[in-house]
Amino acid sequence: MTEPLVVAEAVEMSFAPRGILARGRPVRAVAGVDATVARGEALGVVGESGSGKSTLGRVLLGLLAATGGAVRFDGQPLPKPGSNAWRALRARMGIVFQDPFGSLDARRTIGAQVEDGLAIHTDLSAAERRAKLTEMFVRVGLDPQRLGAYPHEFSGGQRQRLGIARALATNPDFLVADEPVSALDVSIQAQVVRLLADLRRDLGLAMLFISHDLPVVRHLCDRVIVMYLGRVMEEGPVAEVFARPSHPYTRALLSATPRLDPAKRLSRVILPGEPPSPTNPPSGCVFRTRCALALPACAEAVPPLREIGGAAHRVACIRADEIN
Amino acid sequence: MRKLWIPGAVVALIVLIAIAAPVLPLMDPIRQDVANRLAAYVPGSPMGRDEFGRDVFSRLIWGARSSLAVAFASATIAAVIGTALGLLGGWFRGVVEFLAIRGADVVLCFPPVLLALLVVTLLGPGTATLILVLSVLYLPGFIRVSFAEVLSARSQDYVEAVRALGARTPRILLRTVLPNIAGPVLVQLSLAVASAVVLESGLSFLGLGVVPPTPSWGLMIRGARATMEQAPMLLLWPCLALTVTILAMNLLCDAVRDVADKRGGGGAKKLRLVDRLLPGLFPAPAAPQPLLDVQGLTVEIATPGGIIRPVEDMAFRLDAGRTLAIVGESGSGKSMAATAIMGLLPPAARVADGVARFEGDDLLRMPEPARRKLRGGAMAMVFQDPMSSLNPVHRIGDQVAEAIRAHRDVPAGKAAAEAVELLKRVGIADPERRARAYPHELSGGMRQRVMIAMAIANRPRLLIADEPTTALDVTVQAAILELLAELRRAEGMGVVLITHSLGVVAEVAEDVVVMYAAQVVESGPVAEVFARPLHPYTRALLAAVPDGDIEPEGIPGVVPRPDAWPPGCRFAPRCGFATEACATPPPLEEFENHAVRCIRWRELSA
Amino acid sequence: MWWLARRIGISLLLMWVVATIVFLALHMVPGDPAEMLLSTGGAMPDAYAIAELRERLGLNRPILEQYGAFLIGLSQGDLGTSLVDDYPVAEEIALRLPRTLELIVAGTLLAVAIALPAGTFAAVRQGGAFDRVSSALAAVLQAVPVFVLGTLLILVLAQWLRWMPAGGYTPFAEDPVRHLVLLSLPAVAVAKGLAATIFRMTRASVLDALSRDHVRTARAKGLTPQRVLRRHVVRNALIPVTTVLGLQMGTLLGGTVLVEYVFNWPGLSTPLLRAVEARDYPMVVGIVITVSGLFLLINLAMDLIYAALDPRITRS
Repeated sequence: MTEPLVVAEAVEMSFAPRGILARGRPVRAVAGVDATVARGEALGVVGESGSGKSTLGRVLLGLLAATGGAVRFDGQPLPKPGSNAWRALRARMGIVFQDPFGSLDARRTIGAQVEDGLAIHTDLSAAERRAKLTEMFVRVGLDPQRLGAYPHEFSGGQRQRLGIARALATNPDFLVADEPVSALDVSIQAQVVRLLADLRRDLGLAMLFISHDLPVVRHLCDRVIVMYLGRVMEEGPVAEVFARPSHPYTRALLSATPRLDPAKRLSRVILPGEPPSPTNPPSGCVFRTRCALALPACAEAVPPLREIGGAAHRVACIRADEIN
Repeated sequence: MRKLWIPGAVVALIVLIAIAAPVLPLMDPIRQDVANRLAAYVPGSPMGRDEFGRDVFSRLIWGARSSLAVAFASATIAAVIGTALGLLGGWFRGVVEFLAIRGADVVLCFPPVLLALLVVTLLGPGTATLILVLSVLYLPGFIRVSFAEVLSARSQDYVEAVRALGARTPRILLRTVLPNIAGPVLVQLSLAVASAVVLESGLSFLGLGVVPPTPSWGLMIRGARATMEQAPMLLLWPCLALTVTILAMNLLCDAVRDVADKRGGGGAKKLRLVDRLLPGLFPAPAAPQPLLDVQGLTVEIATPGGIIRPVEDMAFRLDAGRTLAIVGESGSGKSMAATAIMGLLPPAARVADGVARFEGDDLLRMPEPARRKLRGGAMAMVFQDPMSSLNPVHRIGDQVAEAIRAHRDVPAGKAAAEAVELLKRVGIADPERRARAYPHELSGGMRQRVMIAMAIANRPRLLIADEPTTALDVTVQAAILELLAELRRAEGMGVVLITHSLGVVAEVAEDVVVMYAAQVVESGPVAEVFARPLHPYTRALLAAVPDGDIEPEGIPGVVPRPDAWPPGCRFAPRCGFATEACATPPPLEEFENHAVRCIRWRELSA
Repeated sequence: MWWLARRIGISLLLMWVVATIVFLALHMVPGDPAEMLLSTGGAMPDAYAIAELRERLGLNRPILEQYGAFLIGLSQGDLGTSLVDDYPVAEEIALRLPRTLELIVAGTLLAVAIALPAGTFAAVRQGGAFDRVSSALAAVLQAVPVFVLGTLLILVLAQWLRWMPAGGYTPFAEDPVRHLVLLSLPAVAVAKGLAATIFRMTRASVLDALSRDHVRTARAKGLTPQRVLRRHVVRNALIPVTTVLGLQMGTLLGGTVLVEYVFNWPGLSTPLLRAVEARDYPMVVGIVITVSGLFLLINLAMDLIYAALDPRITRS
């Protein structure tokens, strides 16, 4: 069996405070995460603010150099950011951002911005680039006549389409979508999610889809990782995790997500207290300070991810068996 | 734009004259003529002669030349070097940043004139010394501006996007970063030129700048001081020239800054603290009294492109103890309607029509003092962003106590104690200590609890919550919604909940008003509306929510902009059921407790 | 407390940097500094004079030794003696500094007292008559260079109307009334630029504060407009004004040199300008270091006010 396209092993990402007189402890945004994304697979990463999900996405892309562990892309370790090999690799990876306004340069035409990747990585002539650009625009559902327009002339949903076109212009194998629909209205969200699903199928993309919203992940992804304070709480096939959420945090998250028919959701679990500071996480299980099921043993060691019920469903909780 | 053209033309004229000085038919500005000392008028010298008999008019124009040459040369040198340093420092950080920023800090430790005098002592006065000193003085401004801009640009997604595409650093700096920082650098350049003219003239006035006999405005004023009683005009002309030049340059700076800041959006807004009185007459009050009864509410905003109506003919009723949700996408007018009811509309917006009766009294026509007594008292509001909605410079306990004392005459100590009780009531652990905290020391969820504590401080009968959980994580949202529901039960408040989330509506509300493009398209009990939506928009919106096993379905097209509502039914361009008949505006049909704005709802729901 | 200690430490560090730069400035000039100081109008100074000046300035000693002596002298308040009359620089400064300080304090108070309320009022009544007139006035005042305003004040009030003396100085102890009369015009001139800047800044930041969400919250509480203005607008608006005030003090100190010259106010600028013209290096250095130190001190004070106004500075 060949290795998945992206493999992360025990990845760590800490941010040290800056400056000569800076004090304080480093922030451990990602703490020992294992993850893989196979070719053509869509992996969802779900978590709330401070969970480290966006940092994980940037580490897997190589935009941030992990402070620990290893990331391999297509069997090769990720090169150092800024090196020539790293720069060449950019053509094979793309990123779509959350903010449809900040992610496009207000002072350049959309055509020029979508064309950047082609100009940097290919020797195509201007005419060939233009043809490719037109193809991309049609593909994401935008009018190719408007290549010369500026970003402010587009709505939020259209800008996200532009962002997707920019990321996909060089035919990458791997796309990281960092909350691409969170800033959009509901009626537009579904359009963009559908577009991403179609593109993934047509282009055979491997995708990492980052979201704070579990239901969005459900229809787009094959597998999902649930993160809390830099660690993986639960992972597994989407259908499996939704049908049998086995970590108390996943259950709290699912129970907190409003449903059109409240009778259909898990009975609500309100998390007590405040999320702990990532500079000073609790010992053992990082979720234990807010967990109704916590035991003294939870404080002693970080619970490892272990299989539960098979089918690659894994949970980092010592009491997972009692939950379902 | 007029703000830019007038001072721009004046500055351009002055610069042009200064450049053209050698080819203009002027007298020699340094030829002395003792016979005509201080002459008020000599043929060919419209402004007369100075204390050495030199032609004043010619000296004024040549003076502009030397002032502007020094100013432009030094500002340009500073701009080029400073921007380069700031750009590199901001991009590469580390040593370059340290040298650039600390170097700038050191220059800024000296008062400018003093540093100039120190250098003049060492190098002797003269144009070259001036340009050197002024370039050094303006260097920090450019370094700091470009550094700060690069830092902020660096964290922007569009820069990260280009980096993620693998662009080389020079390409990123020149193509993406530089154009985006050009505005602030240009503003700094115009400021530096104007300021250099002032400094040059000041030093020349002290006799330490431009060396005589070279004409300079500062030197002319210096010379004319001795004879100011005999020949005041000799003093006034250069003073006038200098002031007009600097004034035009300053105004140009302001205009350039306004244009460069356009990114931030929106021009200067008209702001007034006192709300204007509203036009219109009292319609007859209705007989049975709901807690809040809104009819025909219409809000107008005057924009440069004409009047837009973000809320049009809005209507709903809320009974005490119930929760009504107003749901809609961005731009539907839901928040604007709520702020209109509270009397908190931004100054550009005004209520054009409608009534909003709170326990029988029309809030929209109430005099401001009376409405102020209700606000925060009988009716209260919770806003979306708890960070910006709390004042960062006051302790949260004080901010809660302030709400109490605005409506009840209690001593400060008692109000403070009550504030602690309220914080406890909304589920803040350790309320005594937290009352002394500042907003930035709390988490988002806790800040929203503080906002709620403030809102319930005077036991309101009506609570309007404008997207109270949108900025919060989903687990925090659940806790806040739970708190609101609990408070409503305990206090018997009527709650208007504004949200874009249909899930939140289903969780907490009994009645719902669905808004689209400023209008109510459907309203009724939540259970009924969600189970059997009558309006195609409600139906499409429910289908777009990712929920359960059915794959969500998007609505094609985009939400129309408020300055371009479609004629007729506003949803028609995106509606799968639209017919030609939808080109005329559909009325809101009301029956029992349900209302819908669609001409085809009967056949569609059959 | 850590914040305060850190802030004071930075000020001391900057003071040392200023002193070092001033010391090095003499050695950074191209060629022989002594020759540079003695050359006027292209004439070559004679070798004997150069040698004598080198001896006087201690330029013959190793540079580190000179630097050490300079720093030790500075820490003991010894700034050397004037090249012109051998008078101790420190004594000259001690005599003159209080007069300059008086002018600065008077000008600053005047500017703050007028511009803060005026700027607030103009913002609250944006677009009204007061706003338009005072904004235009501020723009004009900002454009008139300080020495032009001073000269024109003398021309109009002293020469033409003869209401005021043209300048000069009488010690307070000798004749308090005349002292204050003589102080008034220079103080107005010093205040001018600062007042214009504070006015514009206050107006802009009050306008900005008025549009903030927390002001809407304050209104939603049912507070009276006066109370909203006092507690939630002005207090917040003062924060950016303080920052600008600190930076602006550098311009004010420079302007004071010009004002003292225009009005014959015998503060620090008299010996300073005399020394610059005579290339009396120790005197210039002494005064530049003193005034720069004063500037650093003012900025330290501004930072303390800033921190008192904005709890986010010290408590995060």
